[in-house]
Amino acid sequence: MVNVDSLIDLDKAVQSKQVFWDQDIYDQEMENIFGRSWLFLTHESQIPEPGDFFTTFMGEDPIIVARQKDGSVKAFINSCTHRGNQVCHADSGNTRSFVCSYHGWAFGVDGSLAGVPLETEVYYNKLDKDSMGLREVALVDDYRGFIFGCFDEKAPPLAEWLGEMAWYMDSWADTGGGAELIGTPMKTILKCNWKVPTENFVGDGYHITWTHVAALQVIGGPLGSAFGAGDMPPLDDMGAQITTRHGHGFGVIWDVGHAIHRNPQNYVEFQQQTLPEVIEKQGEWAGKMYTGHWNASLFPNCSFLYGTNTFKVWHPKGPHEIEVWTWTLVQKNMSPELKREIQKEAIMSFGTAGTLESDDGENMETCTRTNRGFQTRKGTMNASMGLGVEGRHPELPGVVGSNFIGETSYRGFYRFWDEMMRASDWDDVIKNDNTWVDQWLGEGAVSKLPTVDAAFKAA
Amino acid sequence: MAEQGVLVTLELAYQVEQFYNREARLMNQRQHRQWLESMVHPDVHYWLPITEVRFTRDKRPAPTPDDGGIFNDSYSDLDDRVKRLETGMVWMEDPPSKIRHLISNVEVFHADQEQQLSVYSNFHIYRNRRQREETNLIGGREDILVREGDEFKILKRKINLDMRVVLDKNLYIFF
Repeated sequence: MVNVDSLIDLDKAVQSKQVFWDQDIYDQEMENIFGRSWLFLTHESQIPEPGDFFTTFMGEDPIIVARQKDGSVKAFINSCTHRGNQVCHADSGNTRSFVCSYHGWAFGVDGSLAGVPLETEVYYNKLDKDSMGLREVALVDDYRGFIFGCFDEKAPPLAEWLGEMAWYMDSWADTGGGAELIGTPMKTILKCNWKVPTENFVGDGYHITWTHVAALQVIGGPLGSAFGAGDMPPLDDMGAQITTRHGHGFGVIWDVGHAIHRNPQNYVEFQQQTLPEVIEKQGEWAGKMYTGHWNASLFPNCSFLYGTNTFKVWHPKGPHEIEVWTWTLVQKNMSPELKREIQKEAIMSFGTAGTLESDDGENMETCTRTNRGFQTRKGTMNASMGLGVEGRHPELPGVVGSNFIGETSYRGFYRFWDEMMRASDWDDVIKNDNTWVDQWLGEGAVSKLPTVDAAFKAA
Repeated sequence: MAEQGVLVTLELAYQVEQFYNREARLMNQRQHRQWLESMVHPDVHYWLPITEVRFTRDKRPAPTPDDGGIFNDSYSDLDDRVKRLETGMVWMEDPPSKIRHLISNVEVFHADQEQQLSVYSNFHIYRNRRQREETNLIGGREDILVREGDEFKILKRKINLDMRVVLDKNLYIFF
């Protein structure tokens, strides 16, 4: 076991650079974090029919997700119980069985071992087939159509795992017919640690105006013209940052959900039509969330840009490489034309050849690679922006930072990363459920973000 | 695309090959604006589909432009990509990458429409960045070229990249 006690300093808001490089830290992440967390698998819309399957990863473990005859979803480790060969090599499809290419063992869509060649002749009927199905992922559940799996049966239920984040996500995941992912995912590699893009999406509003300046200039619109033009409102009035119990978090910029769309009229119209639904159901704050632009991550390795309609998973491939999987996030009640229009814009900005995507990759790789230097990784990384002005908010769940350019949700991500890395099991985490904010920020930490009436109705 | 058909004359095939060589040189020289304005048709559709790994028995249709694509570009989309490079603030391209296009296996047919050619070609794009970063992208292109006098314009380009997982950090290049 690696000593993880000195990697994260919550008070100073610094992290050891080792967390982006060391193999032993990575190995413990696979055990403590990827072995215990709910991990995104796919969306229901990707496997609608019985027999539909989708192959993915949980950490580095290959996984088959399959729709069952009764409509439920199961997930299995994609490895034959005989000699370990991978049993399914397609990205997706519809099937009645998964047949191993090595000796022809056949597994049903429910994971059970259905057929063994020469079973009588060579096993003399002594093979206990009932105990030799594909290893099933302990927990599989969906939140509003987003399917997650978890290897640890002692984990809290999915809705509890998402916790306060679910309230925020409901503003769009429970509006306009609900949300879905369209298209087959794009897949790319980045030679970076998996936490670099996760932390970037969870809370980096700071880089937007510098890293992406070229693309934003071409796109124009509210983000292209606001920054640096001298006419921007005070940053404290432009948005917020939120982090939650299990490290999920996001930054939101009010009113500019559509900002990365070049011709957003149809999208804005859909939002305006559906906005009253959100406010009626969840109140004014949820409405502000709904029309805002989010950069968000779900702990540990799933991120999305609500507004830019991009949904990503960062699959770890060792400490220094990831596979980036990218879908388009839309709402079900959008017309097919609007979905296509949005998909085109989302891929144009954050697809594999995206105008903003390509800005980020370079930074993420070198944030990792510099730590190859032995002296370099003795140092720390700093995430102290906005420290001391975050806390509980009278109207909003989680911990709230008052400025979308801040590192509240960076700190929240590493706070929970640290907790998971040190915990001996889920009980060791659950015991902190009621005290985590006070333990972290001290008692009585209050967010500087005003109430919704003060923030938006004063004028 | 014509799977086969009437091969063009040696002279016309030579002109097409020279057109591709010029295109490759302009890319290498980072003359993206000149490429766009002199070699790309205003009605262009420039498409790189996202292709899944599927079993042979899987009868689902191949992707169409309605399924999106890593590129699914009109002229104005390509123009936006070029404009971004022209801002001088694309940090990933400063210092600039070295990008070399090797184009081969050019097959030129008369297309169904008069003055249009149906052309297959293969590419090997070598990218070398910063100190020692290199990637190789190999695939094929299916083009419809329009003849305008002695010149051609790219009306359609479908790019088939021969990899499922793009073994590169992005594809912010032109094929």
